[in-house]
Amino acid sequence: MGAGLDLFAAASAEGAWTVGEVTRRARAVVEAGLPPLWVRGEVSGLKRWQSGHWYFTLRDRTAQLRCVMFAKDNRRLPTAPADGMQVFAFGRPTVWEDKGEFRLTVVELLSTEAGGLWQVAFEKAKAALARDGLLDPARKRPLPAYAQRIAVITSPDGAALRDIVAVVARRWPLAELLVVPTRVQGEGAVAELCAAFKLLGRLRGLDVCIVGRGGGSKEDLWAFNSELVARAVAAASVPVISAIGHETDVTLCDLVADFRAATPSAAAAAATPDQAEVLDDVAHLGNRLGRGLASRVDLAAQRLEQSLDQLSGAVALRLERHRHQLATASGRLDALSPLRILERGYSLARDARGQVLRRVAQFPAGLAFRLRVWDGEVSASVPES
Amino acid sequence: MAKALTFAQQLERLEAIVRRLESPDLDLDEALKLFEEGVEGLRAMRERLSSAEAKVKQVLSAENLDE
Repeated sequence: MGAGLDLFAAASAEGAWTVGEVTRRARAVVEAGLPPLWVRGEVSGLKRWQSGHWYFTLRDRTAQLRCVMFAKDNRRLPTAPADGMQVFAFGRPTVWEDKGEFRLTVVELLSTEAGGLWQVAFEKAKAALARDGLLDPARKRPLPAYAQRIAVITSPDGAALRDIVAVVARRWPLAELLVVPTRVQGEGAVAELCAAFKLLGRLRGLDVCIVGRGGGSKEDLWAFNSELVARAVAAASVPVISAIGHETDVTLCDLVADFRAATPSAAAAAATPDQAEVLDDVAHLGNRLGRGLASRVDLAAQRLEQSLDQLSGAVALRLERHRHQLATASGRLDALSPLRILERGYSLARDARGQVLRRVAQFPAGLAFRLRVWDGEVSASVPES
Repeated sequence: MAKALTFAQQLERLEAIVRRLESPDLDLDEALKLFEEGVEGLRAMRERLSSAEAKVKQVLSAENLDE
């Protein structure tokens, strides 16, 4: 009975707690009794606020736990967890006095899916790029064979840049390297990388671009898995050679790039020809040049000879024709020759002066004349009458 | 004045000269002219290769940009 009285006695301005007192006390009890801890559960009802804070509920079959993850903590995560995703959340249980709510203030969140949230974000961005055709092998551009201006997007003091410079200097010293210094990890890296790729379009006479950084953790390489950076690579004005991290880490940047190299050195080798080989090729062309001219001269000489042959052939033919004409003419001449007539028994009378005597009147009595017969001449005379 | 040829353009020109020189329908005069041009090209390319030294420049927004 007394207890009942006491109970009611406390229901007074002096005996009762204020709402503020009890929630403050509840918060102190919760924070003292529950240290920061890992909680396992399924994400539901995630909302992103303008401020960047995430509000969501973790639940299992029997209970629910309201959670908040502030922007300063969730900024490190590649993506927000999807509803229904199983996660581990590390946070501090507390009571929000103004709302009278029991909350978990989450500072770290891991997905239990293979590869975690990083993988989730990667797949999401990759799917978006694939939808836009940016992963299509057909859109990969060929690399220039004899690059003269090569842009290098990388950290200005990284090993990647030193390797690239060394390889290019050895293989193809003709090239000029234009280094576009950027942060390659951490705050601002994504924006700087995007700006660097955009800048390429304004570099005169640029042939190709290498983007590189050495190995690192998945988080270190994250800027190269940014969908924004991948899109900037795809939009670059020249072919892009990507060499990010180790060979086993394939980033979105690698997938979109026109050529993926295993290391920055390999990227530099892909961007340049080997000068020794080029010199060989040039020497080979020199040989062909010489042989080409020689065969041209030979051909000309051959043609000259041919022409000469043709010419002398024509001359011989003409001579032959003339010879033939001569023979015919001399045959005819022969037939007409008076000797042939004498042969048949005729004779020719000529006086002392050689005049042919044709008529009787030319033979006065006593005339001495000469008679030409076939095989010679005899003297003759007309008898005195 | 024409812009200086790039190495790739020089090489392309030399290859074209050699191909032309190897084709049968070419008179001797033209062949000689091509040969001279080819020899000059060879000399220029060799010189370019032997005198080159890789240059490294930092691009900070304003330099090396087109005007």
